[in-house]
Amino acid sequence: MIGWRFRLSLTSWILGTVTVLFLAYQWLPIFTLGLLSFSGPTGGTTFPMNGTSLHWYQEVWRATVMNDFKPPLLRSSLLALACSATTIVLSIMAAQAMRGQFRGNGWFFYLMLLGIMAPGILVGFGFAIMMRLMDVELSWDTTTFLVQVSWTLPFGFLTMLAVFNRFDRKVEEAALTLGASRVTAFRRITLPLVLPGVIGAGLFGFSLSYDEYARSMFTTGPDATLPLAVMAQLDRQLTPEIYAVGTTTTLFSLIAITIFTFAFWAMRRSTNLERS
Amino acid sequence: MDTLAYESNAREAVAPARARRELDLELRNIRKRYGSFTAVDGVSLQVEKGQFVCLLGPSGCGKTTTLRCVAGLEEPDDGGILIGGKEVTRDPPWQRDIAMMFQDFALFPHMTVAKQVGFGLEMLKKPRAEIVQRVNQVLTSFEIASLADRKPASLSGGQRQRVALARAMITEPRILLLDEPIGALDYSLRETVMLELKLLQQRTGISFIWVTHDQNEAFSLGDLVVVMNHARIEQQGPPEEILQRPATAFVASFVQGNNVFRGTVKEILAGALRVETPVGTFVVPRPMTGSTPAPGTAVSFSVRAELITDALVERHVNRLSVRCTAVEYFGAVRRHIFERSDGEVLKVDQFGAQAARIVPGQTVQLGWAADAGFLHAVPSP
Amino acid sequence: MSTIRVRSPASYWLAAPAALWMLGVVVVPIALLVWVSFWGGRAFSTSSPLTIDNYARFFANPVYVKLIFGTILHTVGLMAVTGVLGYCIAYFLTMKVRSPLWRTALFLAFIIPFWTSTLIRAIAWVPFLGVNGVINQTLMFLGATQSPIEAFLYSRTGITMAQVSLYTMMAAGPVVYMLNSIAPQWREAAMTLKATPFTVFWRIVFPLTLPGVVIGQVLVFLNVMSDFATVATIGGNKHALLPNLVLLFYESSQHRAASVVAVLLMLCMLVGVVIALRVVDIRRLGAER
Repeated sequence: MIGWRFRLSLTSWILGTVTVLFLAYQWLPIFTLGLLSFSGPTGGTTFPMNGTSLHWYQEVWRATVMNDFKPPLLRSSLLALACSATTIVLSIMAAQAMRGQFRGNGWFFYLMLLGIMAPGILVGFGFAIMMRLMDVELSWDTTTFLVQVSWTLPFGFLTMLAVFNRFDRKVEEAALTLGASRVTAFRRITLPLVLPGVIGAGLFGFSLSYDEYARSMFTTGPDATLPLAVMAQLDRQLTPEIYAVGTTTTLFSLIAITIFTFAFWAMRRSTNLERS
Repeated sequence: MDTLAYESNAREAVAPARARRELDLELRNIRKRYGSFTAVDGVSLQVEKGQFVCLLGPSGCGKTTTLRCVAGLEEPDDGGILIGGKEVTRDPPWQRDIAMMFQDFALFPHMTVAKQVGFGLEMLKKPRAEIVQRVNQVLTSFEIASLADRKPASLSGGQRQRVALARAMITEPRILLLDEPIGALDYSLRETVMLELKLLQQRTGISFIWVTHDQNEAFSLGDLVVVMNHARIEQQGPPEEILQRPATAFVASFVQGNNVFRGTVKEILAGALRVETPVGTFVVPRPMTGSTPAPGTAVSFSVRAELITDALVERHVNRLSVRCTAVEYFGAVRRHIFERSDGEVLKVDQFGAQAARIVPGQTVQLGWAADAGFLHAVPSP
Repeated sequence: MSTIRVRSPASYWLAAPAALWMLGVVVVPIALLVWVSFWGGRAFSTSSPLTIDNYARFFANPVYVKLIFGTILHTVGLMAVTGVLGYCIAYFLTMKVRSPLWRTALFLAFIIPFWTSTLIRAIAWVPFLGVNGVINQTLMFLGATQSPIEAFLYSRTGITMAQVSLYTMMAAGPVVYMLNSIAPQWREAAMTLKATPFTVFWRIVFPLTLPGVVIGQVLVFLNVMSDFATVATIGGNKHALLPNLVLLFYESSQHRAASVVAVLLMLCMLVGVVIALRVVDIRRLGAER
């Protein structure tokens, strides 16, 4: 009989190999994309790279009218910031309302959940039809904003709910027994303590909006956001230029995550210090 | 009360039994480290068939790790474990003849009580009909038959405890390991459950190894009490021995009702030592085993609170004057707290039935007989 | 006692903006889709007569009907692959990796791509899958094949490969959460009751993680069923699935036909979610422990 110890470590090795292979599987395309974006001016969309250069990044920068990625980048960033801010405000309000256990809060919860479950293609298409019936002009800063918040808000809401569930109610009670009004206690005690969660909700808002494609596609109108511009370029012609755009926007996302994570970490640290 | 006479009786009762009975469990110099932290350091223990052993000690002393080594949930770095005379040190838990009751009972949240209790028999590949029959029988005898179809989440603490016990006992293991088994229960329930468990143990003859930090549990239940501290065994013996004759200053101060004195040996008398402490010089009997410490050696000794009195007669040769700070009345005893001149506390117990004689604030002369003190083998640092 | 009173009227005011937003942007448009899918006539107007002709026309075309089953089959296959892979990874990360540093590092390695654009990650597969792509170059270098295999880019295989990398973490995430909620004592108690590791897994660990598995499967199901972007990027238009059909009809301004496909897609998803809820009551998640 094979020893149980051997079988246990064999299982670990097999699972570990699967995990590492999958990690490679997940990351290799991203790295390849990054690598190929530096290929030489005569490089194609795959290996060999025909030298290394910044040619394709210059191409992106030296935009033609047809494929200028700078205005879409600006639009996407502004839209993401707006969605992030709206998500933060609305999800704090909604989560605080849930703590009030108002009549119908179960339905409210499912309504928010529906926002996550409903696929973007249906929401986007349905909203586009509604706008058409209402004779509303589609535009990235109005209709797209409305639709994207319906996507980012539920994530922020769930984050805030989780944060409020974990948070120690006695701290609030202490403030109330010390004579603070409910509003003051919320502003001075609750809000600072849940700030890391607020940042998490903001990150969801930013990141989901910045990368959203399906909802934007139906509701954006003539001025495209970045994912739309990328997809349009992909339809026209596949060159390493699109890799350069992809690498840039991925880096942009990573930087945004790092900033948010750092803020999150700093906030947590400061509230922990206050607690101890 | 003559403690020495009582001691020798107890010893006589145990000695022949030790030779006759086989061992259910033997630990040989177990060691377990986690990185630089030593959890168990050279623990050796022999558990006779059907013995009730309590591992007692403060949290982090290594008692739970020792228990987990016996269960096979941890593997000792060094040393040997024998269950029923068979070497099992490297065997996994599922190949050992033990069962375990966990601190918070560890009931499987997704199984009904009946499924849960039958789990052990299922693992032994018993026929289904036999499992059903045995489960019914055990549920009835533990008075939880009405809960058979409930899930753990809907049970009270006391019910969970019964289910956990039934689950562990159904396979009739050689040894039952219990990790703080009543720590999760309400205080009012504990005494009843303790008694039930003691009776169950006596009836079944299964060896119990009971880990606890509560000395009341350990002393009222254990045939053998093992006091642990800092990964080592400080002392093992019957409850009376540990209570009356603490081997170390740690045991003396950990066990309730001892007053610990530290000092140096001043002079050696016939059968006794004179020990100089910051609060006075006292006569302490020589150790019964081992060598007598030479004059000038740092030593510690303890005096039980009930052996100190204010009704002084000639044989109370050790005397000191202290101020009473508080009196606590427990019914059976009345405990007086005094402040010693070195800042430490002196406890004196008096039968609760007697009238109160000392009030807080009063300074009184206390004393104890020459044979009341007990010298520790190892003085505390 | 908290900063908001139970059943306080203020909670209605606080919940109202979010509720209205979700109603107006999610519920009403989807209801509208159902309505439009029954519109008869030719004009795009609310006064259109209601008819089931649109559905009849759709089901009259065997290509479309086959597409429904094709989409479901593709999704189920992907659920199986991501489910098994995701469970293995989740189990390894939570149960086998002991060092907290390694665990955090591995978690980050899995999570970070999740925060970047799905579209870009789908595009990143293009240089891999093409006729002269990395996979073919590797295979030819290794001598596994003489001429490049055309089966990757613009094929179902390629779509599946990319989607597995995109969605496995959705299947793994809820399992990680459930695995973390399993107390070590439960497994230890089973072991002291003579259960071997294999039995401990099947009798204790797996049943307790089942809700996580189901939620993960629901997430993968919903996402793959509605993923047209990856299909369009890698599959071209040759290998369209149901959601691509919505897009196709929409772009050619056949709103009623697009609505019909959208409603059917929605129905498939609803059925899937209802089946999942039958297996595990998601609402009772975490309530029992």
